[in-house]
Amino acid sequence: MSKPVYKVGDEIRGPVRGITTTRIEWYDSAMLSAATNELRQVGSNIHTDEAFAKSEGFSGVNADGMIMTNWCSEMLVKAFGIHYLERGSLRNKYIKPTNLGVELHVRGRIKEAATGPKGGTLYTLDVWCEDQKGTKLVDGDATVEVV
Amino acid sequence: MLGGYISDLEKGDVFKPVEYVITPFMCSEYAHGCEEQSEYFHSAHNSAGRQIRPPTMIHVDKMRILEANCTKEQRVSGMKGPDARIHFEYHAKHHSPAYVGEKIVVSGHIVDKYMKRGRPYLHYYLEVKTSDGRLVTTYNDLTVLRYKQEGVA
Repeated sequence: MSKPVYKVGDEIRGPVRGITTTRIEWYDSAMLSAATNELRQVGSNIHTDEAFAKSEGFSGVNADGMIMTNWCSEMLVKAFGIHYLERGSLRNKYIKPTNLGVELHVRGRIKEAATGPKGGTLYTLDVWCEDQKGTKLVDGDATVEVV
Repeated sequence: MLGGYISDLEKGDVFKPVEYVITPFMCSEYAHGCEEQSEYFHSAHNSAGRQIRPPTMIHVDKMRILEANCTKEQRVSGMKGPDARIHFEYHAKHHSPAYVGEKIVVSGHIVDKYMKRGRPYLHYYLEVKTSDGRLVTTYNDLTVLRYKQEGVA
């Protein structure tokens, strides 16, 4: 990958994906598998069990915030490659529950480009996820120094 | 307090560290589960020449350290606590990639615990280093310990 170059105001786009029960189970099962080093299947929790989610005060099952964070991270890997993995950061706030059926759009915008501590270009980005109506569900920011 | 439920943790609690060796399966399965197709996480056939741990796996490290330190609520083992928790904020800073085959050590402590709008919040700080001391990730996390608001029917 050649060195990525952006200017302030440039937008980057991540995936557009529907929130489905299958995707929620893929993530939760993968998290357990990664934690135990063996193939695991998620059980009942607020992300997979409608009755349990309602008993805990939610309107229904909702996606684990880490699904959206991973999709934001995917966008940054595509946009910045190894620079993001070596000298990046990502912050996400889950400001609203992301419910089943939502069409999620992952987006980013370059907010600042300055000289970084390693002498490269330090990009600061707004990063967020919104639904099909443009309502922000996840807010955040990221930094990447490209050297 | 360590050794109880996650909601028993208090400001200043220092976790007993956990360590493990990163396997190809952990990285690939985690990446697969969130539809991340970058070859960095699936094999060594990438520009780094080594399979890399997805940086978001810091959240798995949080689950690992909670499993070791909150023995009444081992979520990875399928145990539940008194209330469902929800993740409110993720903030990871990458200092270097961690590679398959490396042993990593996860340490951390509770920065703060407070009430806001009738809900209890817990602020974690975690650090991941390789066993030879290279800093991989620093991480701040805010979790809501109980979604249902206190005093609200």
